Amino acid sequence: MITPAVAKQRSAESLNGFPPTVVSAYLAFAERGDPVDLDIVVLGVLQFYIVKKPGTPLIALPGSTRLVEDLGCDSLTMMDTVFMVESLLDVKLDDAELPKLKTLDDLRNYLRQLVVLTAVS
Amino acid sequence: MRIPRIVITGVGFVTSIGNDRAGVTTSLRDLNTGIERFDMLPGTDLPVKVAGTIKDFDTTAIQWAAWRWPKGYKFPQETLRGMPPHGLYALCAIEQANADSGLTSSEIASEETSLFCASAGSPRLLRYYANQLHDSKGERVSPMSIVSSIAGTLNFNLGAYLGIKGAVAGFSSACASTTQAIGYACDEIALGRQRRVLVVGGEDVNFDSLMPFSGMRALSRQSDPVLASRPFDVGRDGFVGTGGAVALWLEAAETAQARGATIYAELLGWGQSADGTSVAQSDPDGRGLALAMHRALRAAKVAPQDVSYVNAHATSTQAGDISEARALRSIFANSGASPAISSTKALTGHGLSLSGVMETAFCAVCLAEGFVPGAANLREVDPACEGLNLPRTSLPSAPRIVVKNSSGFGGSNVSLVLARWES
Repeated sequence: MITPAVAKQRSAESLNGFPPTVVSAYLAFAERGDPVDLDIVVLGVLQFYIVKKPGTPLIALPGSTRLVEDLGCDSLTMMDTVFMVESLLDVKLDDAELPKLKTLDDLRNYLRQLVVLTAVS
Repeated sequence: MRIPRIVITGVGFVTSIGNDRAGVTTSLRDLNTGIERFDMLPGTDLPVKVAGTIKDFDTTAIQWAAWRWPKGYKFPQETLRGMPPHGLYALCAIEQANADSGLTSSEIASEETSLFCASAGSPRLLRYYANQLHDSKGERVSPMSIVSSIAGTLNFNLGAYLGIKGAVAGFSSACASTTQAIGYACDEIALGRQRRVLVVGGEDVNFDSLMPFSGMRALSRQSDPVLASRPFDVGRDGFVGTGGAVALWLEAAETAQARGATIYAELLGWGQSADGTSVAQSDPDGRGLALAMHRALRAAKVAPQDVSYVNAHATSTQAGDISEARALRSIFANSGASPAISSTKALTGHGLSLSGVMETAFCAVCLAEGFVPGAANLREVDPACEGLNLPRTSLPSAPRIVVKNSSGFGGSNVSLVLARWES
């Protein structure tokens, strides 16, 4: 887990220009480790990079919403998201797992597990 | 085969002396400087105190999402995400140039339209991303790091943004880059390969883009903005850096006239040469630049006596200005000609690879508006630069034929010959 001090530094550098909800959820996650905050960060980052923004925040969309078909995520959107999530959370997403992430739930659940596993290891 | 006439039909500016045509025209006519005190690395006392800054933009953040630009411009996120700071300037300049030209988006995104660009890339982003790679031991770097930072970033991004299908090319001959791009754009149109070419130059303005020139002792250390850039002056002590972006549309005259375009100027011809002497310093005798001017005038079928104005490359360095003065004397004074000469870098600073297209667009404005910008900041002419007609104030007389010079590292020299449009 990243520390609150590290999170504060990284948010200033990497989340400059991101919505305040993403920044505050990131700082809260570093403070408390609540996975609900993690979801807000991950989906907030994805929403930031999606080219054609959906009318509803991703966090409020059904977990079955498909990344490519429903949200129009292209490879650069996914790479931008992966890079930012890795940078913020000190995790390494497995390249072999990425093609298996088809829905918002897939992404959310994978990150929850990865963060826990990374913290344990 | 009849060679088509080539004209300039649109310009757009984000420069230290103005962010639109009206502002630039006023600054050129009234000799308003765009150079000001600029703290490039807060908390330090750098030996370089001034730069030609870009006003009304804030691109200090690495993240494009935190950048700020003047109201009225709206750009898609998928374009901005791969952009360096000067890419944002270029988008704004292109929007102006497109509106100015009257070209439709389908005419721009056609197979008969090309895009030629130049910039040094973004040294600041290169450093940032290289640090990311080092810090993460090669594990992690932004997926947009390459396309946003290396030389070529403008072509990559703008070609996709505009939907260019004719050809997209980048030029990398330092401070001669965009002048050379204009020359080759002329050839493309003259050979009938393209109907029009958009030429775009851009540069960042920050510590990383400017301070490396300090290692060559090429930058002025003056702290007074009006004394810092003084081309041909005996007190000059180096150039002042600037950046921004300029976009310029070149078009076959027949095509432009058929669609009722407003024409700024005609490009009569161009010439280039190489010094073959030094990686950085101009040939002391100005032989290479003189050859470029000679070739340009010959291609344009213009005698030296017919030239009204020369927009010099002169950057305010000791050696460079003397070299150009010798080249100018050999072409003009030896023919009994005495065109007005000035370097608008006195007002803007030196825009590096941007400078050629920026100053060509200035010339186009001067030809269309009917004035010659004076040699700003010039107090006492360097004896080594004597024999040139350097008016201290702008001249209200309309130039008919204009020569634009550029020189770059490695001894690249390019000259363009422009003329007032007469249908």
